[in-house]
Amino acid sequence: MTHLSVHFTGVSKRYPHFSLDDIDLALPTGSIMGFVGANGAGKSTTIRILMGLVHQDSGSVEVLGHAMPADQAAAKRDIGFVSEDMRLYEAATLAWHMKFIQSIFPRWDQRYADNLLRRFDLKPQQKIKGLSHGQRVKAALLLALARRPRLLVLDEPTTGLDPVARREVLAELMAVLIDEQRTIFFSSQNTLDVEQISDQIAFIDRGRIIDSANKEIFLDRWRRIRLMLPPDTTLPRLPGVVEVGGSSRLPVLTINQFDPAMVAACQDAGAAVQSVDAMTLEEIFVANVQSRRDHPVAVSETTESVTA
Amino acid sequence: MNTFLVRRLIYKDWYLSQGLFLAALVLGTLTLVGIAAAKGTQLAVILGVIILATILIGMGAVLMSSVVVERRQQTLPFVMSLPISYLEYTTSKLIGCLLIFLVLWAALLLGMIATILATPWFPHGLIPFTVIMMVEMLVTTCFLAAVSVTTESQGWTIAISQLGGLGLNAVGFSIVRLHGIKDTIVSPHPHWTPTALAILAIELATIAISIAVAFYIQSRKRDFV
Amino acid sequence: MYTQYIQMDTSIVISQSDGRPMYLQIMEQIKQKVAVGEWPPGEEIPSIRALAVALRVSVITVKRAYLELEREGVIITQHGKGSLVAPDPGLAPRLYDRELEDHLEHAARIGNLLGLTPDDLADRLRDTSARLTAETLAKEPV
Repeated sequence: MTHLSVHFTGVSKRYPHFSLDDIDLALPTGSIMGFVGANGAGKSTTIRILMGLVHQDSGSVEVLGHAMPADQAAAKRDIGFVSEDMRLYEAATLAWHMKFIQSIFPRWDQRYADNLLRRFDLKPQQKIKGLSHGQRVKAALLLALARRPRLLVLDEPTTGLDPVARREVLAELMAVLIDEQRTIFFSSQNTLDVEQISDQIAFIDRGRIIDSANKEIFLDRWRRIRLMLPPDTTLPRLPGVVEVGGSSRLPVLTINQFDPAMVAACQDAGAAVQSVDAMTLEEIFVANVQSRRDHPVAVSETTESVTA
Repeated sequence: MNTFLVRRLIYKDWYLSQGLFLAALVLGTLTLVGIAAAKGTQLAVILGVIILATILIGMGAVLMSSVVVERRQQTLPFVMSLPISYLEYTTSKLIGCLLIFLVLWAALLLGMIATILATPWFPHGLIPFTVIMMVEMLVTTCFLAAVSVTTESQGWTIAISQLGGLGLNAVGFSIVRLHGIKDTIVSPHPHWTPTALAILAIELATIAISIAVAFYIQSRKRDFV
Repeated sequence: MYTQYIQMDTSIVISQSDGRPMYLQIMEQIKQKVAVGEWPPGEEIPSIRALAVALRVSVITVKRAYLELEREGVIITQHGKGSLVAPDPGLAPRLYDRELEDHLEHAARIGNLLGLTPDDLADRLRDTSARLTAETLAKEPV
């Protein structure tokens, strides 16, 4: 059995204008989870609960075997955390920050840090004040990575980076995973990044996890089928169709529980199957959110079987 | 309590405020030298005391508001990513900032007493009043620290630091009219009258209570960022 | 640990604008490498994690590609030892054969959509083949 590095069970947190509801998350050690959601969907609150910075009202959170928030100090010894709203001390240099972190984390790897300095094109003697946004993000990532943490928690790590820097950062994240004992949890609005590097995917919308699964299962479950119907034919009701678009003669089905038998069922009904297309994560995310917002009850029934 | 990490955090605050600390120390020393050089003329003393009080209150406000500043400048998430609890963070802030302030405070207090003792222009009876007023500044600073750490609000911190400045004047004017103070202030020897000792005791108690209440409130907080 | 993944052969190219899933792209390119002999039979190939890091794609995607390749008999994965190209001399021609099968299937499906009969399809294929031969001959400087 794989050990879980992050485990949320039934976590809720209420604020006056927003609440997180019954969040379940499971991230196996050695893998990378992409956490996708719109602005204000609850990504940052979830991450703060994960880090023990915000206390959940109910439910349990276990990170690297430590109960959060009670055991946060111990858990954070093995966590590298970078969030979008995190700043370094403007008046100090990057070199000072590196020394400071090194004095606290015994596993700090100076050779790796030097390596990252070169790769991220950062100058340690420069004060944080003088760095661009991208350089600050990379500096914070360097400080987290060179601790060699067992778990990296990154809130929007690639936001605001230029394409070259983004590629470097993704490469470093993947390089971390060459060690099977290390795990990454990252949130992003960039579904391309998530689709590319994550093993596990969780979608959050309006404070609820609306879908969470292994990425390959996830991408396999969703298909778009383009059909051509002869006049006066109606399609049978197929399970897992979340949206029927297109025109009446040329319908396009969006399906979240695809099975090759569905294609046969369409053909049996007299439809010509023009194509069965895989969907990108972005398309899946949008279809998922929209179908749930349109039919909140109907779709939530399928969630149980899907997330299992 | 992880004292190693608390010490590291205090070191960090010391590192980040040492420029300001040195500037305050140099300015304070120059002021004392100025008072002595002006042979204790009334104008020099009044100006000097105003400058010294401003240095201390200003430095206190800067140090104590660093909790609010860390939140505003968003360095708090960086600090909280370290293996510490929020109570340890609070401890480092309260103790660290007070320690840094105390070093400056003690240096200036010693400088003042040295100036009174070493120059022929001041009655030594002035020493108890000087000590009481210096401890009063410590009270103001500790109270400000407690408010800043617990409310985490810039508004409250600014309001309390302004009030602290006014309160200091009020306290000074009231105390100097008390019999146990007024009667001995121009004496050639320092007199630690019961009044003076009682005031000191009240001041020290206020300091202890402010810090204890701050710790109590912080230990019950749940959300930090 | 660092140099290792940088120097590793990363001639596999994953395109995010390619409509096909990433695991299929990886499978296809590995099959091509095997078919042309770039990865000869019996040769050790990168571990799942190493290839994932080199390609900057998730471990689970590469794992899936390897599993499917194993099922198709292209590679062999020995537990704890990594993966090898299947030591089968007939593998390369078989892979080409399977690719041909896929393309024929695709052509037949489109033919159906256009309402072509099997004979029409066969004619079209003959024409295409003849045209390609002619073009190749014309290019060759004799």
